[in-house]
Amino acid sequence: MAQAPHAEEILGKAYDFRLIKRLWQFILPYKRLFFLSLLLLPLQQAFGLAQPYLMKVGIDQHIAGKDLWGLQTVMLLFLGALIGETLAAFAHYYLAMLVAQRCLADLRVAVFSHVQKLQMTYFDRNPVGRLVTRMTTDVDVLQEMFSSGVVTLVADFIMVIWIIGIMFYLHVDLALVSLALIPPMAIAINFFRVKARQTYRQIRERIARINAYLGEAISGMAVIQLFAREEKTFREFDALNADHRDAYHLSNMYEAALYSMVEAAGAVSVGLLLWYGGGEVLHGAIGIGTLVAFKEYLHRFFVPLRDFSQKYAVMQSAMASAERIFQLLDMPVDIRTPAKASVPKPFRGEVVFDNVWFRYKSDTPVLKGVSFRVEPGERVAVVGATGSGKTTTIKLLNRSYDIEQGSIKVGGVDVRDWDLRALRRHIGVVLQDVFLFSGDVRANLALGDPTIPLERIQEAARVANADAFIRRLPEGYSAHVRERGSNFSGGQRQLLALARVLVYQPEILVMDEATSSIDSETEALIQDALEKVMRNRTCVLIAHRLSTIRNADRIIVLHRGEVREIGSHTELMEKGGIYHRLYQLQYEREELQSVAQDTALKANA
Amino acid sequence: MGRLLVYVRRYWRQYSLGGLCLLGTATLVMWIPWWIREAVRIIEHGGSMGDVTYYAMLIVAAALAQGVVRTYSRALIFNAGRNIEYDLRNDLFAHLQKLPPAFYHMQRTGDLMSRVINDISAVRVMLGPGVLNFVNAPVYYVYAVALMLSMDVRMTLAALAPFPLLMYVARKFRGRILKSSLEVQQQMSVLSSHVQENLSGMHVVKAYAQEDFQTQQFIAFNKDYEVKSMEMAKMRGIVNPIMQGINGLTVLIVIWYGGVRVLRGDLLVADIVAFIAYLNVLAWPTAAFGWMLSLVERGRAAMRRLEEILESKPEIVGAAARETRPTLKEGIEFRDVFFAYARQKNGQSALQGVDFTLPVGRSVGLVGRVGSGKSTIAQLVPRLFDASSGAILMDGQDIRELPLGDLRKMIGYVPQEPFLFSTSLKGNLAFGRDQCSSAELARAVKIAKLDRDLEVFPQGLDTVVGERGVTLSGGQKQRATLARALITDPPVLILDDCLSSVDAQTEAEILHELRAFLKEKTCLIVSHRISAVKEADEILVLDDGKIVERGSHDELTRRGGVYAELYQQQRLSEELEQI
Repeated sequence: MAQAPHAEEILGKAYDFRLIKRLWQFILPYKRLFFLSLLLLPLQQAFGLAQPYLMKVGIDQHIAGKDLWGLQTVMLLFLGALIGETLAAFAHYYLAMLVAQRCLADLRVAVFSHVQKLQMTYFDRNPVGRLVTRMTTDVDVLQEMFSSGVVTLVADFIMVIWIIGIMFYLHVDLALVSLALIPPMAIAINFFRVKARQTYRQIRERIARINAYLGEAISGMAVIQLFAREEKTFREFDALNADHRDAYHLSNMYEAALYSMVEAAGAVSVGLLLWYGGGEVLHGAIGIGTLVAFKEYLHRFFVPLRDFSQKYAVMQSAMASAERIFQLLDMPVDIRTPAKASVPKPFRGEVVFDNVWFRYKSDTPVLKGVSFRVEPGERVAVVGATGSGKTTTIKLLNRSYDIEQGSIKVGGVDVRDWDLRALRRHIGVVLQDVFLFSGDVRANLALGDPTIPLERIQEAARVANADAFIRRLPEGYSAHVRERGSNFSGGQRQLLALARVLVYQPEILVMDEATSSIDSETEALIQDALEKVMRNRTCVLIAHRLSTIRNADRIIVLHRGEVREIGSHTELMEKGGIYHRLYQLQYEREELQSVAQDTALKANA
Repeated sequence: MGRLLVYVRRYWRQYSLGGLCLLGTATLVMWIPWWIREAVRIIEHGGSMGDVTYYAMLIVAAALAQGVVRTYSRALIFNAGRNIEYDLRNDLFAHLQKLPPAFYHMQRTGDLMSRVINDISAVRVMLGPGVLNFVNAPVYYVYAVALMLSMDVRMTLAALAPFPLLMYVARKFRGRILKSSLEVQQQMSVLSSHVQENLSGMHVVKAYAQEDFQTQQFIAFNKDYEVKSMEMAKMRGIVNPIMQGINGLTVLIVIWYGGVRVLRGDLLVADIVAFIAYLNVLAWPTAAFGWMLSLVERGRAAMRRLEEILESKPEIVGAAARETRPTLKEGIEFRDVFFAYARQKNGQSALQGVDFTLPVGRSVGLVGRVGSGKSTIAQLVPRLFDASSGAILMDGQDIRELPLGDLRKMIGYVPQEPFLFSTSLKGNLAFGRDQCSSAELARAVKIAKLDRDLEVFPQGLDTVVGERGVTLSGGQKQRATLARALITDPPVLILDDCLSSVDAQTEAEILHELRAFLKEKTCLIVSHRISAVKEADEILVLDDGKIVERGSHDELTRRGGVYAELYQQQRLSEELEQI
């Protein structure tokens, strides 16, 4: 089973200039806030680092000098520094998060609206879950970068420089002694960091393997059970799991050593400080306060060193997430409105397919040179066996996909020259499985356009026989529609879809008739509504009901991606070709049933 | 939580050793300020340099020793956490393997996955870093406070005076942060379900030119999320600096109050230095206190959720499998079998009193409309589900009394929905076997008509089929799953409409090849195509969960019932395909 980790769980660099530059584009609108937050950092640090210095002054000058009032003054200053540090820290964090939240919200919207423009083939290929992750989890990882990644790394660096500077300012020799451990520390830290990073990468790979394996085992559990392979898969899983644990045992050792070493180095430095500084005090070269201040500075010096590896890891995952997000943003938009888009006005609802070739993937073509013409106001039924290309035909009409060869013209204009939005507004689509959006009934009928007056919506619903059941809902037109419209029956959803068409009054109606059975009462309502909706409109119907084909002006018979027969029901039946057989196969039974029902009804009467 | 104790007990050595190391570390850490005090006292009184050096050396020695002991304390305890994570993950996996398809029908893979991943990690954090800090904090406090008290009681009280305030702030904000983070999570799920809905309805969004409206809606939800996140950030932004500020306040108090007393002459600067050092030592456990509590809270909640999975009973259980290869001697019998899926709440059953016998070496074909119950019958034999009433007997014995492994090893079940693992084609075909010869592979490949496809595949049998077999066509996948079942060479073969995506021509060829193979087998063939069941010894026609017709192909066509009609339709569509 799957042991290859998903590409998305492998880590890259912790810093990538190209990605940072692109992220910067999103920070740019908030650059003033951003810089303000950055400026607060040195301020916060200055307040913080003033405190040890005030201790030194307090001890060396005022306590040693027996000056109570001086001590009080210095302590008030200390209190001020403390308050200043707290406020600056809050303001810095708040502003940084404000920038982070705003620019990440922008980023999410950028991704979302970009995805809206992608071609349908993209969604056919990519699982929904992965795209959702891009907009949610991946963006959240970037947030962590703001709160404990790049900014704090820079801040820590500045802080370390500050401290070194102050130490040297206070006493050069003492500074040299206190920081004597830094060169060996740097070497050791680097050693452990490199080791830790290697194991960390290994760990990421192994956890990715575990998760891939687990995911696959869960979806294929029935197969495992049917072949009674539980033991074998368990052994494989156990091996992956143990690998992961072992990698962590090693990494825990490195991490623990790194952490403890920094702590120990801090304490050793204090020892050295006391040893050398003690001598200096005894010589009278410095006061005890200087010693105390040095100890405090050392304490603050080692904290950032200790947290470095953690922050480094945050940066690594942030860069990986940014990479994936930008990859998505870079997906080219293939189907877009051309620069010189045209909207024919006045618009006649004619449709012309001219030698249309199309394939989904690079395998066999689904449509092979399809040509037909639908006159304005004409009603055409498209029939054919499963896989003949019926559904594809209507998907191409509103340019859900672009064709390979030939042309499709709506209102005399090639669909590729149309303004995409306008084209789709002029073509009303009713699909087999009516998709309702969560929201209220009104928004679903108006398709979210709040400028459409309620009266027009109600009128449309009334004509489409939907008004009655909508009014019976507790909240009427404001009734809530659950995800995918699951709180409405199949028949009700059909009626709502027909009402939708009437709200927008498109010139062309494209419909894939539902095959699922609906109770006869609703069925009658749908038929009645459909008849009204189809009136004075160009209609292209994928028919599943006998009445629909009977009422069509012409029937186009598709077979294996080619138009094989065109004509009226009677003509095609007389011809005795594909349509005749299709009729026998799909519709004859329905006809027999309805005849039988009629006879039964008459007999009862 | 009782279950957790079992795991913890398993690693008690590691934990207690780690705990000892923690105590050792704490002792070494706590003596350093004491020695600093001694050293500074000497310096203050103008003592000898030798004495100062002595204490400085003690500090360096303690620091080095501390480095070693601390490394072990952390590694031991964190590793114990990882060990338990490993055990827990294995146990969970083993348990998941026992759960029946009904369980998986109710769960979405993604949900189950994230539960397993996130919850296990939360439990691990509780048992590693959580335990470490949980032990550390009280030890540090007791040690430090005791040593401080032994130096000076009044100073200790003064230094600790801000701690109640600290506790108050921590408690007050912890609740609010928790609530706020819940709100953020909720808003995130609103956001992601909007995205989910948008993406799954993309064809509609496009057909109705809804892109802009959808984006507007997204922006509104997104804004809410931003506001809620900011709310939480504000709280975090307040609480962390305040905690640090209070810590600084304790230092300030020590210097101020201590300074005044030094001036009065009843305290030494050395004492102040030591007090500051102790407060520095306490800074981390104090800051981590709230964090640690939330770790424990999250870990416990996660463990409860994991226990829900671990305690969900595998409804279908059987005795352990025997080592010997099971055989079928008499046959399979369905005796008045009723079955209802859990989701069918209206009391309607998928099967209503199905009765038939499949003698060893014979074949039974099942046909009927979609939803007539033919697949359900096929799924009951390997016990993917258990019958609601009635019984299925194998050689006269109820299959519920047979060892589950034996039962399933006896059956080669080929489902309609082909599921392939993302490994190589060979790995998939040989899935049911520990080893298998290339001759056996070749035979199955030939029967399933995969040989022609193999010529096209760049790496032949070693071609990796990708996640769920994405690189293969629907027909190829079905044929691969057929070959996978054939390779195990089971006495019973169940074909559950497993060639539905294969074109009629290829299906005919496969059926022709299969015939020789099937002769030695007992088979149950479910199909929507008459051609597949035509040759079966007995054909059962199902409608609404009942057997409405039964007999051989010739008998049934002559009868002119449902079967004859189906056959007629089939011939028409075959004709259509020929055109």
